[in-house]
Amino acid sequence: MTRRLPWVIKYRPKRIDEVVNQDKAKQALIPWIEAWASGRKPAKRAALLYGPPGVGKTSLVEAIAKEYGFQLVELNASDYRRDVDIKRIVGSAARKRPLYGRGLIILLDEIDGIAPREDAGGLRALLEVIKETENPIVMTANDPWKEQLRPLRDAVLLVEFRQLATGHIVRLLERICKAERLYCEKDALKYIAEKSMGDVRAAINDLEAVAEGYGKVTLSLVKALVRGRDKSIDLWRTLNSIYYAKYAWQAKKAVTSSEEDYETLLAWLNDNTHRKYKEPEDLYRAYDALSRASLFLARAKYRGHWSMLSYVFDLMGPGVAFARVKGQVARERFSYPERIKLMAQLRQVRETREALAGKLAERILASRATIKREVIPFLTAIFRNSQDPTVPARIALGYNMTREEVKLLAGARAEEILKAAERIRKARPGEEGEKAVREERQAKPAGLDAFLGLGSRGGIAPGKGASRPQRSTRRRGRRRGSS
Amino acid sequence: MSSAFDVLWVEKYRPRSLKDIVNQEDIVKRLMKFVEERNMPHLLFAGPAGTGKTTAAHALARDLYGEGYKQFVLELNASDERGINVIREKVKEFARSRTPPGIPFKIIILDEADNMTSDAQQALRRLMELYSASTRFILIANYPSKIIDPIQSRCAFFRFQPLKKEDVVERLRFIAENEGVDYEEEALETIYEISEGDMRKAINILQSAAALGRVTVDSVFKVVGMARPREVRDMLKAALDGEFEAARTMLRRIMIEYGLSGEDIVRQIHKEIFGNELKIPEEQRVLIADYLGEIHYRLVEGSDDDIQLTAFLAWLTVLGRHAS
Repeated sequence: MTRRLPWVIKYRPKRIDEVVNQDKAKQALIPWIEAWASGRKPAKRAALLYGPPGVGKTSLVEAIAKEYGFQLVELNASDYRRDVDIKRIVGSAARKRPLYGRGLIILLDEIDGIAPREDAGGLRALLEVIKETENPIVMTANDPWKEQLRPLRDAVLLVEFRQLATGHIVRLLERICKAERLYCEKDALKYIAEKSMGDVRAAINDLEAVAEGYGKVTLSLVKALVRGRDKSIDLWRTLNSIYYAKYAWQAKKAVTSSEEDYETLLAWLNDNTHRKYKEPEDLYRAYDALSRASLFLARAKYRGHWSMLSYVFDLMGPGVAFARVKGQVARERFSYPERIKLMAQLRQVRETREALAGKLAERILASRATIKREVIPFLTAIFRNSQDPTVPARIALGYNMTREEVKLLAGARAEEILKAAERIRKARPGEEGEKAVREERQAKPAGLDAFLGLGSRGGIAPGKGASRPQRSTRRRGRRRGSS
Repeated sequence: MSSAFDVLWVEKYRPRSLKDIVNQEDIVKRLMKFVEERNMPHLLFAGPAGTGKTTAAHALARDLYGEGYKQFVLELNASDERGINVIREKVKEFARSRTPPGIPFKIIILDEADNMTSDAQQALRRLMELYSASTRFILIANYPSKIIDPIQSRCAFFRFQPLKKEDVVERLRFIAENEGVDYEEEALETIYEISEGDMRKAINILQSAAALGRVTVDSVFKVVGMARPREVRDMLKAALDGEFEAARTMLRRIMIEYGLSGEDIVRQIHKEIFGNELKIPEEQRVLIADYLGEIHYRLVEGSDDDIQLTAFLAWLTVLGRHAS
């Protein structure tokens, strides 16, 4: 199994002419770079490339660097926010004088991620660096018109990138389909392209998600997946970005920029990490990270420490991404979390258990917690292992148990015991038995009614004790939220 | 066992009156004095599980008020009630209800009071004062040190000791004879050893073992093992054998089939770690307990059951691999 690159990386434009539909941007940027390359410093020493996501801003810089023989130094602006960091890290790169041949291009991605107030100092520092730089500085942004970027706008060369037309994206997708030897319907690609709203990266990710899931790309599949489950495509994209992340910030960004809420994301990671990682130690590191993410999430939610959320993202993203030390990412399909199904099943069985515990608690005089811990295990042993099915059957009758309660205790043996109970009930308790039971119930007059009512009800009192589980659910719900 | 209906023997053989309580003689004597005087202070019953604290509280109330005693008793369980506000409302309402003839107070039994936070206990102390004219509290706790001093000083303190071997064996023999159980004398002693003076547990073991047939030392051990889902052990073994996927599937099945919560399963795992069915090097038991404790803590903090236990199984898989 070789390490598989996500297609957005694999099919990145490598030459300037592979960056499509950005001729105006090229016309602005290339002369500027050529000036640097020939040793003349242009008046504006930095360029700001702006435009919607996934139109090829970073790709064009990479392609230019390659073709003009520059070395590209990528710095993520949002990682270096404090003015001292910017001066130190960006500044030192900016001052480096190329001795011969290869110059540097400093690329600062996502400059608009800088928040206004706390990074005011950072921007100032950046402007100073730009004034004195010996090397071209190229920045990218989605939205350069934010107020806090105004001083920057005046100091740099602004280069606009245009949204891509559907046709461009379709052609790109076709190229990928061909290279991957994938069966793709043209209409399907068109559909993906339209849905991507000009974002090549999103389109490629959608294509890959459908291809990875089904091995072919047809209109009906794409329609079902991209329209009906927009969210799952987003999830696929997020998960891929995490499992294949090269840098911690990439994995973190995948988490923070996902449209899904973090609990859903946690559930997806919980149910897919074991498909993607196969080395036990990688798995342990990944699940321990998820476990800690869940812990931080609980601290945020139940104690109101919302600042803890940041650590949830750290552990879900980079924590899982860099848990993989030994193994490769396995080529297994993502699956929907079983969690939703699991929770529904769990809720039902826990409600039954809670109802039974409540019923027993009144009679045995102990808390429901104690009953669950100390009594139900022994009842389970009796119901599952007794030689004679009438022994548990009589107990089931003695506590007026519901069908579900008997099933919970008896497991596979439930039918046998329910039948035995039915036989006993039909035969009617003998005088002696009835008297014994009545004596048992004397301490609690209400219990006698329940007992007398039993004969007229069909089967073993269905639906009894319904009010309790609801209560317990609320209790649980209150403490745990809706997880 | 001739009757058509049956109940658990812990219910059936629960002493109904103080005079039926065969052990804890000193305590019973003092409690009977209250019945005689038809008056009592607030009481605090403390001691390990299954030593008769709740039973004594009910027997006392029954002896005071007679057969229909429950209408003059409010039973609360701190671990089941939702917060002190719920308790306050219930106490308030109960204090307004009819008083029994001839006795100026009603009884509030508050079980597992040591599960209350100290803030809730402060509020409880105020309740005790507010309604002291018409009510008496019987507080029940496993660990009296977890009850705040101002409450302790307002209560008459009763310390329940773990039951003695002869008391337990005697009671088990009585029940076995009465139920027509075929048993081995030695088995009753084994039950005592396992239950460590907890009468409720001892009687539950007896009844479960009797359901299998003749009660022998073997069947007692067998039934104690049965009371722990076998699947938990299988799950641990699978993980230790490097079968992470299988262990993970089993975990989900256990949760669904038994309706166990994460904490329930942690408790079961903990029993298995030090049980003799799991064949692992001794030093590993400690390592496992240590990480299990960490996982338990994360659960208690409110994190997700499934994720926590999956992390535990992943860790166990690594441990098993290193050992082999």
